[in-house]
Order: sequence, then structure tokens, then C-alpha cells
Amino acid sequence: MEFALEEGRHLSADCPVLLLPGLSIGNVGQLAVDLLISSTAAKRVGFLDAPFLLPCVGNDAYGPEPSGLLSLPLELLKSINGRSVDVCTDPSSYLPFTVYESTQHALTLIQQRSPVVKGMMVEFSKEMADFVSSIGKKHIVILSSLDSGRLKKIVASSDMQVYYISSVNSDGTDAECERLGFKRLEEYDSTQRRWAYLNELAEGKLVQDDEINLEEELVDDDYYPGLPFAALLSCCKAKGLKVTCLLCYCSEGDNIPDSFQLADAACKLLKLTPDKLSGDANAQGGWIVPLSWKTVYGPPPDMSLF
Amino acid sequence: MEDVLTETPPPSRFFREDLDNFASPPPSLPPPLVLLNPNSSSDHLRPPLLIIALSAPSLAVLHRIPHKVLIGALILPEIPLAGNSLEPSARDRSCYVYAGESQVLVSVQLPVADERARAVAKSLLGGIQAERVLILDSIRSQNYRGRLAVDETLAFKLETVEERNAEQHLVRGLDYFPSGSVMDGLGAAIIAECQMRRAKGTLVATWPASARSAEMTMFGSLLNDLGFPISESDGNDDFVAGYSGSSRYDSDLYT
Repeated sequence: MEFALEEGRHLSADCPVLLLPGLSIGNVGQLAVDLLISSTAAKRVGFLDAPFLLPCVGNDAYGPEPSGLLSLPLELLKSINGRSVDVCTDPSSYLPFTVYESTQHALTLIQQRSPVVKGMMVEFSKEMADFVSSIGKKHIVILSSLDSGRLKKIVASSDMQVYYISSVNSDGTDAECERLGFKRLEEYDSTQRRWAYLNELAEGKLVQDDEINLEEELVDDDYYPGLPFAALLSCCKAKGLKVTCLLCYCSEGDNIPDSFQLADAACKLLKLTPDKLSGDANAQGGWIVPLSWKTVYGPPPDMSLF
Repeated sequence: MEDVLTETPPPSRFFREDLDNFASPPPSLPPPLVLLNPNSSSDHLRPPLLIIALSAPSLAVLHRIPHKVLIGALILPEIPLAGNSLEPSARDRSCYVYAGESQVLVSVQLPVADERARAVAKSLLGGIQAERVLILDSIRSQNYRGRLAVDETLAFKLETVEERNAEQHLVRGLDYFPSGSVMDGLGAAIIAECQMRRAKGTLVATWPASARSAEMTMFGSLLNDLGFPISESDGNDDFVAGYSGSSRYDSDLYT
């Protein structure tokens, strides 16, 4: 994985926490990271070029105006002293993978805009874990979502509950997450065959072609270790990093409310106050909606039909 | 009417197998190969401008540039050469590299899978290290978040940071690509590679993707501004291969 710093930028040693999305149903993790980047006024620090990422580029996703600098699929950003004038006027297009930092909030964010080549998710996750470890990050927070069709028990608050898996204990528990009201994902069992296989792949004890009978009939719990967040979790754990996955159940549709929920949970975990993220008095509840969300579900219907 | 159960989902949505950690990896392929005439001058290896035509209208216009000299080709091992003519032709399923007066022109007349786009971009820009790169591509409707009318011509651009900050932009008079929409495929891979190399790169994306006179006039005008004379059409523009997703001949049945 190659990393190119933007001119005049540097990675801060004071940002030990890194947030990144796990690709998932509804793109909720990516939407939540978009919201956090926009609301913390994080500035782009550099671009990542990953061999297993499909290409995509676009114009600045955050605004307030689309000013035309390139964004790549994987980018890293940081925010300096709240809403910076530079962020408002600095034209930016995006690439598939970008790195952002918020020194004010001691936060680094990676936004991933395009999918991974099918079958290469574990390799991608290994490279990602190598990269975040090499730049000195200590705590990785992965934001992702789960298919609500997999919920075994539906209670009134199911939609609002945020689930977690932590590397702090081998059973995935973390007292801090429990205190915050998150619920450990019950389906997480590191001894379960697919979780165990994933961990061995991440630790380099196996390669993906090694024998494991993955053709056995899938059971319900096989769903979770097959998801991208699980690969990122296993690979970052294998590098000795502290990892917290924050998850919410959702269905495909308008997933913007889910992204608010997940971003809010991330703020709780990182002891950030959404109301004070940007310092912008006009921001509703502290959140600043990214410019690109104006058309996230396409243009409005053609009213001339009526 | 499309079947809502089976129609292709919008690009922001994933198929389940796309997200499967345990899906089989794709077979590994040999890297793409850029073959250049060994007698090529150093100007061809480090030209002031490299123009890469990907879309049907841009390919049609590029092939009307007179006096260009074939100096090489890019070979993708997985693309069979069967059916190509001995002399380079706009109808070939190939990727030709031409030298203009002081520029290098690349006509990409073959389909490049998204998974191979990065490798192709690295091979091209590694073999021809231009001061400036211009990519001529087309907008894909599934990636565009605004309205696209079939009878309306649109053109936008994206630039690398270095091009954006240059004193004079290579392409003027075009709006930037709207925020929220994306470009993918080989064009995106090339300009991303330009950005990673901190090179000056511009991607021009037009709609629609077919080789209609309006888009060709636009590209012709753009290339004229860059100093290229464009010959009159010989009436065969519709038969340019142009594997930008709009070719009717994208099938091995026709080789």
C-alpha cells in the first residue's frame, strides 16, 4: 500500500486514534465517516493507493462548494482548530482512499470510497493493518453495519442499539463500551471455525488457499466473520493494535439516519461532543452534512411528469 | 419495465459476494506490457503532454489527427489479438501509442476490467512519463447523481492537485465534475496514479458516451486548442472500437 502525503501536510503523532469504515450493507460505515470528516472539519493529509481497491475519483465530497480538487478512493484527513477557512476554500477532488486528521480532536480518519476486488479483502486488511501500525496509531475504531435480516431477536429498541466487538478481552468485551450502553455482539465467538480461520489468516499462519472446508453448509453465525469489518478487526488485532468495532443493524434504503447513529456512537466512544465538533453555530446539533449527500440517492424525481 | 428484484443495484450497493472475506481470489495475471519502438526519441518517453483517449468520441477524433506516427502499444495478456489487422486500425481491439509533433497519444481500444485498471495505469505512466496527462473519458450513467438526458451534451473535468495549482490550466472553460458523482474504471485509475505521482493530470468526462457529432466537435475543439489539427471525418466514426461501455461490438463473437 503506497501513501502519498499532500504537500505541506504531515501526520501528527498526537492523533493516536484512527477511524475507518468497514464496507457493509447500506454503506453505513462510509456515510458515518463522511459525517465525522465533514463535522470535525478534518483536513486531508494524504492519499493511499491500495492494489486491491477498485478505482474511483470525484470532486470534493465535503464542500461547502464543489471546488474541484481530486479525491481518491482512500484518503487520510485532519482538522485544525474547528472549521477552518482553508477547508471552505481549498478545492478538493477525491480518490478512492483518503487519510484525514483532526488534531483538535486527536483523530485520524480514513475514508474508503470504492470496493475491494472480490476475494482480496483479507490481503487488503493486512496491508491496512500494516499501514496504520507503521504510522503509530494505537486504537483503531471500525464503523460498520449488519443486515437487520440477521437479527435473531427483535425488540423495540433493536434499531437503536449499537453493538460492539473489542480486542480488549478475548471474548470481545470491553467494560468501557458496556458503560456507554453498547452491547457486545453475541454472535462473536473467536473459537468459531470461520473466526478462527480468519484469525489464522491474519496472523500469517495460513494462506487463503490452505485447506479449510468452507464448502460445509453455512450456518447463521458464518455471516459475521465473512464481513469486511471482521477482516480488518482480525488483521489489526494481529498487529497488536487495540480495535473497537461499532456496529448497527440496518436494511438497505435511506441509511443516513443509521450513519448519524453510528457517528454519534463513535463520538461517545471517543468522548467527543457532537454539539461542539465543528464550532459552527449554524450546524444542526453539531453535525455538518457533507455536500455530496445532496445527491447521495440521485436527483429528485422529474416533476414535469405530473 | 425492469424487474426490481433482479435489476442491477445502484453502484453504492453491494452484492453479498462482494463483501465476502472468504470469496476466492481472482487468478493472478501477468502485468500489462508497454512496448515502445526502441528507436523512439527521449521526447516520446518524457513528452510535455500525454493524451489518453478512452471514450468513443475521443477515439474517433484522435484517429482523425493527421501525421501521427505509431511508436508502440500496450499489451494486456488476457485480451486476444485475434481479429486485429496487421496495420493499426481504429477498429482493432488494441491499445496503440502514437507520437504527435511533441505529444504522445494513446488510443485505448480494448476493454480494461476495473480490477486491471490500476495495473494498466501504472504501466502506461511508468512507460511514458509526461509532464502533463490529459485523459478523455465518458460519464457512466450509473455513477452520475444528476440528470442525464440522451439529447444533451455535458462535459466536466477533474484535475490533480498539481494541475489545479498550476498557473495555467491545460483545459479551460469546463466546469468541475459535480460533487457526489464519481468516475470509475481506467480513466479514474490513470488520474489517481497521476495524483499519487504528484503529476499534472486532467480528466475530461463527457456525456453521452457514443461518438455523436456534438461530443466529437467538443473534443475536436479541445484538441485544436492544444495545437492538434483535426482532419474531416471519413464517415467511419461510428465504427471506432471505443471500449468505453458503449461499443456494440464488445464480444468475442465478432473477432
